[in-house]
Amino acid sequence: MVLSAIAPHLYAQKEQSLCEVTVRGVRPERFMVGQKVQEIDSVQLTRFRYSTLADFLQFQSPVAFKSYGAGQATSIAFRGTSANHTAVLWNGVNINSPSLGQSDFSTIPVAGFDQMSVQYGSAASCVGTDAVGGSIQLRSVPDFKQKGLQTLAAFRLESSENYTGQAGLRFNQKAGKNWIISGKTLLYGSIFNNDFGTEPHRTRQGESYSFEPTRTTQKGVLQDLYWQHQKGNLFSLNLWLTDNTLTIQPHQVPLREVTRTQAYRVLGSYQIGKTLIRTGFIRDVIDYGKGENLTPSHTEIDRFILRTEHDFSWIQSCDKGTNLKIGAELVHYNARVDGYGDEVKRENRADFYALLRHQFNGKLSASLNLRQALVTRFSPPFTPSLGVEYTAFTRPRTKISFSGNTSLSYRVPTLNERYWVNLGNPELRPERGFNKEIGVTWKQRLAEMNQFSVSVTAFHNLIDDWTYWNPERNYRVENLQQVLSKGLEFTVGLKTQWHKTQLDANLNYGLTDASQQKTYGPYTQDFIGKQLIYVPRHTFGGTLTTTHGKASLTVQQQFNSERYSTFDHSGRPFAPYFLLNAVLNYQFQKGNFRSDIALQGNNLTNTVYPNLKKNVMPLRTLSLNVIFYFQSKQPTNES
Amino acid sequence: MNRNYLLIISLLTVGFSACNSTDPVPSQPYDNGVLVINAGNFLDNNGSISLVQRTSTTASYDIFQKENSRTLSGSLSGYAEVNEKGIILVDNSTAGKDGIEIVDAHTFKSLASIPSTEVENPRAVVKATDTKAYFTCWDATGDFSNFYKNPGYVAVLDLTTNKLTKKIPVQNGAESILVIGNEAFVGNTGSGMTKITVIDIATDAVKQSIEIGRNPELVGLDVNNKLWLYAGGEMVRLNTQTKTVETRFKITSPNASKSPSSFTLSADKKTIYFTNSFYDAADGYLQKGETYSFSIDAAAVVADKPFINRLFSGGLGVDPQTGVIYAGLVPSFKQAGYVLRFQPNGTLIDSVKAEIAPSTFYFKK
Repeated sequence: MVLSAIAPHLYAQKEQSLCEVTVRGVRPERFMVGQKVQEIDSVQLTRFRYSTLADFLQFQSPVAFKSYGAGQATSIAFRGTSANHTAVLWNGVNINSPSLGQSDFSTIPVAGFDQMSVQYGSAASCVGTDAVGGSIQLRSVPDFKQKGLQTLAAFRLESSENYTGQAGLRFNQKAGKNWIISGKTLLYGSIFNNDFGTEPHRTRQGESYSFEPTRTTQKGVLQDLYWQHQKGNLFSLNLWLTDNTLTIQPHQVPLREVTRTQAYRVLGSYQIGKTLIRTGFIRDVIDYGKGENLTPSHTEIDRFILRTEHDFSWIQSCDKGTNLKIGAELVHYNARVDGYGDEVKRENRADFYALLRHQFNGKLSASLNLRQALVTRFSPPFTPSLGVEYTAFTRPRTKISFSGNTSLSYRVPTLNERYWVNLGNPELRPERGFNKEIGVTWKQRLAEMNQFSVSVTAFHNLIDDWTYWNPERNYRVENLQQVLSKGLEFTVGLKTQWHKTQLDANLNYGLTDASQQKTYGPYTQDFIGKQLIYVPRHTFGGTLTTTHGKASLTVQQQFNSERYSTFDHSGRPFAPYFLLNAVLNYQFQKGNFRSDIALQGNNLTNTVYPNLKKNVMPLRTLSLNVIFYFQSKQPTNES
Repeated sequence: MNRNYLLIISLLTVGFSACNSTDPVPSQPYDNGVLVINAGNFLDNNGSISLVQRTSTTASYDIFQKENSRTLSGSLSGYAEVNEKGIILVDNSTAGKDGIEIVDAHTFKSLASIPSTEVENPRAVVKATDTKAYFTCWDATGDFSNFYKNPGYVAVLDLTTNKLTKKIPVQNGAESILVIGNEAFVGNTGSGMTKITVIDIATDAVKQSIEIGRNPELVGLDVNNKLWLYAGGEMVRLNTQTKTVETRFKITSPNASKSPSSFTLSADKKTIYFTNSFYDAADGYLQKGETYSFSIDAAAVVADKPFINRLFSGGLGVDPQTGVIYAGLVPSFKQAGYVLRFQPNGTLIDSVKAEIAPSTFYFKK
């Protein structure tokens, strides 16, 4: 049951034949020809549904994390770029905070979406601004195959006084003669105390760090509704409300610092034939206050979104054909931010794009994607991309393919960068990236349940006009830096069976060399060629799962080499560290009732390692994770 | 010499001797030189202390870490020595995580720590008596609308027990502190308070307060034993005996938007150095400025002829032994700064690479 769910998700839609990708709109990843796109295994998403995206993703991919602490602001950076260079899309809509231009991955729970893919390198032509280093696609998908009503209740108890609870239902039923209605409701809440006492802890290198007392509470509501007509037309409504409160020093009121981040996200879509019409509203709220008198500074930014897309396809055979997607998106921004002055800042943004994919034959496909964005009082550059995939060698058991992609990318400055009183700079230029990458993938099938794949990707991304809050100018933001990031990524996937035990392994290694290329002040000569701050040169991650009957053991590991916190590498870098987690899962089933019970150990080696504020990150914990499913009609086949 | 042996010796000194015991070890690594207090970058909590010898152009970095295998976890706001002990003020970016480290001034080995529960936002430290130090604290701060929400205090640190014995409430935003005779004078920053507080060192009690001007900053005692202050845009000279203001005058500048800071007295206590700077809105808010000086006999100051045609955002210090001026250069808070040394006449001697944001200097023997 678990096994069947794994196989089709590896490399999913990006690799399907033309005959498989039909009916509705083609996903943007399909046009990312020649780019590395990693589909995250849905079994892993289910198993780690309690985790935040920050905790989950670090074991899945060679991206660098920047964390201010457990339950605190955590951003990711692809391939040596910054947190601002990652586009996070929820059902195709960029949900990065417009004021900060990034997402806090500690506030996004894994339970908040059904599918996830991770795309490496520039993809601005497909997804728009921010995708300079990479993008994360989070999707909600209907399950029209499901029968009846499935209810879910789940909780997690972690020894560091972290608690999570989730309750939800999924349903699917006929509505009248022509319609099927399907949907999902999920309520979730967490309290993370991350209590590890007050004593300082020493690293293996002898450094001593202590904990910062914090409490993070998270709650949220998800509501997805889909009405599908038998002719294929589909109405969807996706709603996601999140509320995250971080309190530093929660037990000492005069000293406390409270940051509350709320997001209201609603999307309504209508897919009629091959035309998509989507409207959306997103409100991002950040309140910050200190001590007893919480008269917080307030940030409230609304986005009104209207998007329309149409897919054209000229399919000659399953191996030959052309897909074209043309689309336009309009977004209106309303920003009420204390730091921008009394005036409400308004701006309009528009994106026009054409994504073209042509498959010449079973071996060769190519894409040409074009995008032009328009922004009030700002001119983003025209961003094309060109990609090729060529399968050089196909045998029944062996496949070797080569890929290449070159693309331009851009980042529209954040609203803070443009509108903050005095420090913001309305004259900023967009950051621009020029990304090139090549890859080779070798897939070998030794037997039905015995296969592996190895892929190697080399990338070279030059990012110009990188913004910098310049201390020489009282921290006014300027386009000053030029960064070259280059490196290699290795991914190994392994699936094997021995008697009745199945082993799945996913290992990744990244080598990143990201450095400043140009001086931008009298004392910046020292920075040239030096690894950027917080970017580890070597990252290693691995997930290994063994499954035997209803029991499974998942082991996650992660290694980061040392990271500098100064541009000139003065001072002491953060030491390398290794993390090891394990989850032992057992599935019970009786009639319509099913339960997953798991024992999870995090940071099993009890590694002491600091976050950016030089406070210690969570030590070893043990947790009990329990999910109950109840199926109203018949046992479900999904896992 | 065995490190453990040194540690035991120093602990014994703490345990059994209240008075100034003779150091049994003739020469120690931190007996001489100049300590550079590098504030560090606020959220990085990476303040550090470097040691620069007077005749060397290289420094020993993060000497606390070197001797104790752990870093100081915060920004550094001050350093002073009392009773052969060094007192380091550590200000963490998280409220409730500040602290005071007490080290052997000769070995820099940690002797004791004042825990974070007892101090909040320590700002400046000074020797009060041979066994007592005073340090100012803001206490907990509020958000931007009312940052200096609490009255400040002067904490009394007993260096025989390495314990806090008292907190003396003073004005909000308590910052600079100087000891003159049997009295400590306390200035403030930011809060808009206009009076300095005078504390009796014998009783650790507030004696009186003196109206000076908005946000009074103590500069130092001149050759005539007069206390100089900068408050409300004016230089103020105070008679510390009569507690009366003798003179006050403005520092004027051809560019009215410049403001002075980093006041320091020369070694002969006859000259005051300061930097004068502004953010040039016409040039993308670039910080511009120079270093000036004036005589304590001046009746007015016009900052039009720079003493050193450079600006130092990290602060100034003067070596009382040699009169050499130490200036902290902070290119950014994400890289090492430099200490530039100048002759008393303003001639550049050399520069030494320090650590992040070299801000204040402590001149040892």
